[in-house]
Amino acid sequence: MIFEVVNWNVQVGTMDIGIISDSSIVLVGDTHTIQLASVLDTPADSLLIGPFVPVSPEG
Amino acid sequence: MIRRISNVNNIAVNSIAFSSQVQIGDSHEIYTNSRTLAVQREKELFFGREGNFNKYSTFLKPISFPPLTEPISILFHHKHKGIHVDHVYVTAISIASLLHIGTTSRIVAENRRKNIRQLEKGNNLLTNKT
Repeated sequence: MIFEVVNWNVQVGTMDIGIISDSSIVLVGDTHTIQLASVLDTPADSLLIGPFVPVSPEG
Repeated sequence: MIRRISNVNNIAVNSIAFSSQVQIGDSHEIYTNSRTLAVQREKELFFGREGNFNKYSTFLKPISFPPLTEPISILFHHKHKGIHVDHVYVTAISIASLLHIGTTSRIVAENRRKNIRQLEKGNNLLTNKT
């Protein structure tokens, strides 16, 4: 299989972007590969109720 | 790959934070990485020495990406040598993110975040869970 790409003229007026966040990319150009990963963890057991103690102390 | 020229007349970015980048011009390889342990407490209380990423699987589990090389023949025809953008307005770029003007070869971005909330006393709704 041959995947054939024909790039014609690209002419953009205005790009108005709010926020680029959490491993995101805005690319004006070309690239071979992009790998984006985002891990968010808020499990039920991350809600701790009781006296305030340090979370996972260093060392 | 024959390179195209990216032509941007005007860029306005308000703020950039946390392993983010604005790249103007060609690059070869970009890697951004951000880890966050977000602790919210009911009271204002800050312990200086806390937070160990290695204690949480969120920061340890390997991320499996799809294979980079696939047996596909790709043929590019660039009929025009450029990409033209008049204005780029961005309010904020944050947490391992990227605004790239120009050609690159490889982009890898990784972000891991764990949220922890600490309450002093549970109300009726919350004590059901404990």
